[in-house]
Formats: sequence, structure tokens, C-alpha cells
Amino acid sequence: MRREVPIVICFLAGFFFISDFFIPEPHWTQIAHRVNQWAIIVIAFAYVLGVGNIVRVNSQVIKRKERDWGYKILLLSGLVLMIILGIGFGIKEGTTFNWIFMNAMYPMQATMFSLLAFYIASAAFRAFRIRTWEAALLGVTAVLVMIGRVPVGEFLWRPFPDFIEWIMNVPQLAAKRAIMIGAALGAISTGLKVLVGLERTYMGGE
Amino acid sequence: MDLGTIIWNTVALFLTLCIFSFLYKDNPFYKFAEHLVVGVSAGYFAIILYFNGFIPKVWEPVTQKGEWWYLLPTILGMMTWARFSKKWSWISRFAIAFYMGIAVGVAIPLEMQQRVIKQLHATMLPVHFTNIQGVWNLLIMLGVLCGLIYFFFSMGHKGVVGGAARLGIWILMIGFGAGFGLTVMGRISLLADRITEIHNWYLMVTKALWGF
Amino acid sequence: MSPIFFYLSSWFDFNRINVLVILGLFFAFVFYFINQAKKGKSLFVRRISGLDAIEEAVGRATEMGKPILYISGIEDMDNLQTVASMIILGNVTEMVARYDVPLLVPICRPFVVPVAEEAVKQGYIKAGKPDAYDKNNIRYISDEQFAYTAGVNGIMLRERPAANLMFGSFFAESLIMAETGFSTGAIQVAGTANIHQLPFFVVACDYTIIGEELFATSAYLSKEPKLLGSLKGSDLAKFLIIIILILGALLETFGITKFSSWFFVR
Repeated sequence: MRREVPIVICFLAGFFFISDFFIPEPHWTQIAHRVNQWAIIVIAFAYVLGVGNIVRVNSQVIKRKERDWGYKILLLSGLVLMIILGIGFGIKEGTTFNWIFMNAMYPMQATMFSLLAFYIASAAFRAFRIRTWEAALLGVTAVLVMIGRVPVGEFLWRPFPDFIEWIMNVPQLAAKRAIMIGAALGAISTGLKVLVGLERTYMGGE
Repeated sequence: MDLGTIIWNTVALFLTLCIFSFLYKDNPFYKFAEHLVVGVSAGYFAIILYFNGFIPKVWEPVTQKGEWWYLLPTILGMMTWARFSKKWSWISRFAIAFYMGIAVGVAIPLEMQQRVIKQLHATMLPVHFTNIQGVWNLLIMLGVLCGLIYFFFSMGHKGVVGGAARLGIWILMIGFGAGFGLTVMGRISLLADRITEIHNWYLMVTKALWGF
Repeated sequence: MSPIFFYLSSWFDFNRINVLVILGLFFAFVFYFINQAKKGKSLFVRRISGLDAIEEAVGRATEMGKPILYISGIEDMDNLQTVASMIILGNVTEMVARYDVPLLVPICRPFVVPVAEEAVKQGYIKAGKPDAYDKNNIRYISDEQFAYTAGVNGIMLRERPAANLMFGSFFAESLIMAETGFSTGAIQVAGTANIHQLPFFVVACDYTIIGEELFATSAYLSKEPKLLGSLKGSDLAKFLIIIILILGALLETFGITKFSSWFFVR
């Protein structure tokens, strides 16, 4: 019951949706569309689990006064505040909920994203310290593409931009396709094993 | 310009600088911003899902349209809550299995169509030496073949297979280098955006305080 | 159009027959080799150095008395890379349990939390140490990509894991995490099939698992014959693809387009 029923559910749901890809019959498609909507509903309920996890993990740190427990109070306050504001006053434009998103969350996210400029520089520095032939290929190609994408590339060598286009359209395209095809086969094989119950890690050990 | 806008913009600037301070080292300002963004964003997404998932897809259909069958996924969704109990946590597996079945079932044919067959078709091009495109087609095909040979797991990388696999990994590395080089410029423009925001704040405050 | 064909076409999309045929063949290959493996036929799998490094990383964490950080990417369970990542998490837990090292698993999507909990629990049970399982080490951080990144960076800086294992679907956050991990001196092994992020992992991590290797990881680590059989099936499919590619290109060269047009996706 605890293991077999989930495997049967997974199998039936999976093969029903595989069949939906090939069957254009409107009723069939409509059922599939409806069941697909159900998945979103299941996900929505899982957010209670997420919030529960945050509250459990952080409140224990606070209770035991472990390192950085004061910050955990801040974290939980932010969480509770957003839930109260959202449910109590709505989420539309002009609400405090929306203001906090625009003026606190958004700038922090954007700044975190912009840190990439620094990290890509340090990563590039390491990429160019050539240790192996493979690393050399990566580093040299990266430098060539960087130079070729700015005007100085054309200034140095007139056909530079065309050469970069060639790199993107021939070797890079081949690499992309090889990875894509291989990964897709791996993904399908993994999915198949999940559907038939050969991979059942998600069901735990009891 | 009203005081509220100035205050909110200043808060945004302060938080921006808190995050940037991480580049120096871990410090109380970064910890403050990190915990704030984690708490606020977790609450934000839970609420967004409540308004965009639960209300239109469960509450309204059931209470306003009488579409009672939406209670079925509701029950499945609520099964995930069984994880709060040690004794009943196994019930959540039904919901997990249902969701994974759908997800995998949708993904499998799409992966085959979009990532295998479409790519295969795009690579099956005339190869010849009468014009340059024919040569490039040949190179692309050889690149794909060698890349695929690199991903053979049940054969050792020795002899001809080893040679082709080595060529395959070189092609992959060239591809990675090209990807890296291409992304650099985009990432730097992100930093430029944040610096522009800081500059705009400076202009706004100086204008509010001194009128220029 | 004949009435029979008309009726059939309402029940089968003939434009997708190529997908059905190739998918059917692929399934047949995989099941055939799984059966062979079940019958006890030994199956060879080549060395994947990045995966051997996981054991090395776990050993190092034991020596240093520091935890191991497992990051499963930022996508939900509807992404097959996350599914693969959860399976790998089970294998890694088994390894970690043998060495008595704490395993930290920060998670980006709430629905991944119960799956990760089950995978970790199962790993500890398999290793014979069910009591070592600590539910609090599986932490939901946030759905938001960069809030999650900020949280993971915080863990890297304060808990100083000896090893960072990153397997799953990653996007722009990959480089921020990998560079932060590098700055803390952790051994880093990363694997993804997201083509745009692979260059960053290759540059910033000690070992990178590329594309399909991510999906082969579970079979490689567990050495379970059934799973190794599926790898062999996948290899046969690749061999077939290579033949199709060569044949298709040759026929195209001689002006015969019927073969390649069968693969056209409508």
C-alpha cells in the first residue's frame, strides 16, 4: 500500500500524459489539460510545507540561541509580515505588499544578479591560467569571442566578427547539439525508470 | 518629489549596498540583507501562489461554479501536509507520485521531439566540398558525432572510440569557451544597471535637498 | 482522405509518428538491457573522474570534520534534472552516512522538500544509520532565484562545508555559488545539462559532470545492475542516432530528402 500504490499512480499518470502527446482527440486532450491544472493545485498546497520548513528550522535556531539567531528573527518577521500584508490587504499595485517587493526584494535580487559581473571576471582570470589542453581551448575561445564581440576586434582584424560568427555557428552549435541529444536521452531514460518504479528514491525507505 | 519616494529609494539603495558588501567579506550588513530577502521572498511566493493558484483554481471553481471535482486535487495537495506527522508522512507519497507521473509523462515525448529528433533533422545536411557551407555542415556533423561518442558509457575511451571522444571533449570545450565569452558582456551590463540606479538616487537626493 | 484514416487521425497525430517510433525503440533498448542485467550479465561502465571525486570530497570532509553541501538546482520536480538530482542525493547520502558527516541540503522549491527528505532518509536507512537522519538539515530557502542564492552563499560562508556538490538545473546563480564555494576552499563537483551554465561550472569547479553524465550518475554511484542496464540501452540509442545522422547526411548530399524529412518536427 505505502509503496505499490504510489508506483501505480506515477505509472498511470505518466503514461496517460505520454499518450496525450500522440492523441489529438478533443475529450482526451481536455481531460489531460484539466489533470495538468491539478498538478498546479498540488504544488500550491506544497507551499505550506515550505513555510512550515522555514518556521521549524529557524525557530529551533532561535530557541536554542544558536549562532545568528537574531537574524533568524528578522527572516521569520519578513515571512510573517508578507503573509499578513498579502492576505490582509491584497497584492495589487499600490499595496504595501507590492511596495516591499518593488523597493526591498527587487533591488536585492538585481544586486545579487549584478554580482555576476565581478564573479565572471574572477572566473575568467582562472580560466585563462591554462593548465591543460582542454582548458586552453576553453580559455582561448572565450578570449577570441570576447574580443570579437566588441569593435576593437574588427579594428585588430577585419574579418574578426565573421570568425566569431563561425565559432558560434559551427563548433559551438555542434557542442550544443551533442550535449542536448545526449542529455535528452539520459533524461528520458531517468524518467522511464521513475515511471516504471525502477527509481523510487522519492518514496523513502519504509 | 515626495518624501515617501525618497525614503523608499534610500531603503532600496541601502539594501543594494548591503548586498554589494558581500564582495568584501561576510559581514552584518550582508547577513541583514540576506535574511531579509530570504524571509520576504518566501512569504511573497507563498502569497502569490495563494492568490494565483489556490483562489482561482480551487476556491472560486468550488464555491462559485460548483465544480466539486477540484476537491480531488485539493485532497491530493493536502496529502503533502501529512509530512508534518511522523506517523502519517507516507501519505504524502501519493501526491508526490501523482505530480512526478504528470511531470515525467509530459517531459518524455517533448524531450524526444525537441531535443533529439529536431536536432537530428537540423544536423542532417548535405556534406560536400563544392561550397564552403557543405564543409561547415560536415564539421558540424563530425562535431555532433564526436560529442555523442564522448557520452558513451559502456565503452572505454580507448582506440578509435577514445580518439573520437577526445575530439568530442575538445569540441565541447570550444563550445563552453564561446558560451563563456558571449556571456561576459551581458553580465557587465547588469552591473552597469545597478550603478545607474545608485547614480539616479544621488541625482534625486541632491535635487530634493539643494534643488539642482 | 479515406474514412478509416480520418477516424484514426482523430485518435493518433500522424505528424508525431517519428516521436512514437524512436521513443518506442528507445524504451525497447532500455528494457532489453535492464533485463539482461537482471539475468546477471556483467555490464562495463567507463570511469567518470568527476564522480569518483565525490568519494574523495566526502573523505576530505570527514578528515576536516566539516559538513557537505548538496545543492539540487533551482527547478521543481517537473524538471528531469531535478528528478535525477534527487536520485543522486540518495546515493550521496548513503556515502555520507558511512563517514558520519553532516549533509546540508538547501532547497529552492517547496515541492522538492518532501522528495529530498525521503531521498536522504532512504540513504541513511540503506547505510544502516537511520538515526543519523536530521530533518533540519533539509532546508527550504526561497523560490526566488537570487534570494535562494543569497541563502546558499550564507551557508557556504558560515558553515564552511568541505565539499559542495551541485547537481541539477542551474541558471545565472551557478557562477555566484561556484565562485563563493571556491573562495571558501571547498572541493566542488557540479553537474548540469543546462548548456549555458556548463562553462561556468567548468571554470569554477574542480570537477564538472556534463550533460548526460548527470543522468548516468545514479547508475555509476550505486552500481545497481538494473540502472547500469539502462545506461547500455541509452548507448545503443546513441549508436543508432550516429548511424541515422551519417545516413541522413549522405542521402541529403545525393539529393534524397525523403529520409531526413521523416525527422521533420511539425
